Amino acid sequence: MLFSDAKGRKVVSSATAATVGKVSRFVVDPATRAVVALELKKTDGGDVLRWSDITAFGADAVTVADQGRIGDGGEDVKALSDKAHRVLGKRVLTSSGDELGKVDDVDFDPRSGGLTALLVDNGDEVTAGRLLGVGSYAVVVRDDP
Amino acid sequence: MRLMRTSEITKRPVVTMAGDDVAQIKDIVYAAGGGRIGGFTLAGRGLFSGPLKEGLSWESVSALGADAVMIRDEHVLQPAKEVVDASRASGGSGANVLGSQVLSDAGVDLGVVRDVVVAVDSATGGHCDVVGYEIEASEALGTQGEKVLIPLPDTIAASGEHLMVPASAKEFVGRDLAGFGAAVEAFRAQLGGAS
Repeated sequence: MLFSDAKGRKVVSSATAATVGKVSRFVVDPATRAVVALELKKTDGGDVLRWSDITAFGADAVTVADQGRIGDGGEDVKALSDKAHRVLGKRVLTSSGDELGKVDDVDFDPRSGGLTALLVDNGDEVTAGRLLGVGSYAVVVRDDP
Repeated sequence: MRLMRTSEITKRPVVTMAGDDVAQIKDIVYAAGGGRIGGFTLAGRGLFSGPLKEGLSWESVSALGADAVMIRDEHVLQPAKEVVDASRASGGSGANVLGSQVLSDAGVDLGVVRDVVVAVDSATGGHCDVVGYEIEASEALGTQGEKVLIPLPDTIAASGEHLMVPASAKEFVGRDLAGFGAAVEAFRAQLGGAS
């Protein structure tokens, strides 16, 4: 599933069957190459939903046990939520120091949250296994072997 | 093997494998009489940031790419003075070779150094070698005032004032980086065969 497809998806509480928010952004941990949390819009109160608190990331909605699961995400998620750790729109550098382009979209597995590929605006698809880091300047990926 | 002019390296960002730009290249520190890059002095990123106290030795560079100089993390930076001193100890002037006069061993002035051409070989773990100079040609080259590329032998003698090259270097002068790598190899092969 692409970040661009998943963005805007509603988050529904299975306890009340009410919509409790909408997916706005993805918090990615480059070390585990996975989505660790969702940033939400249109919530009451907190705006971060940790991936581990999601019941299911479905085709039409993200389900969560109850609204109480939405909070501030905790310190580890906060540290990955700043602008320096965003992936979309960032330039992609190889470990050899060559620029490939900018990240257009990200493909991920909605069951595990694991990233599968970065889609670069030059048409390249970089498998997520090559991801080394996401920082203030660039997304760094290992060279093509 | 990839050739580049060192003037293209200055201002390039220094980026960690975590994707953070921790500095940018300010100047190149030459070692071994101008035959090798010893390291770099650094400046901060951003419009108003000045020179940094930290420098970057060549050994700490993970890769020298077309768009960035890659390092493992910011801990590989070391005091700039150490980088310059180490390069000096290797016989380098530690200073700039730009503006030096290139003399052939036949005693002919070939021109003045305007830029330095380095080869980065990813096959040998990113070994970086100074392979040529871009010089403003003298009368002796018949293209006075034009910028031409002149290949260098593996080791050269440099005094800060002059750089000595074998007279036969004249025959391998190039005009652009494409094809210059072959000229360097041909020149060095000829030197190797002669000795």
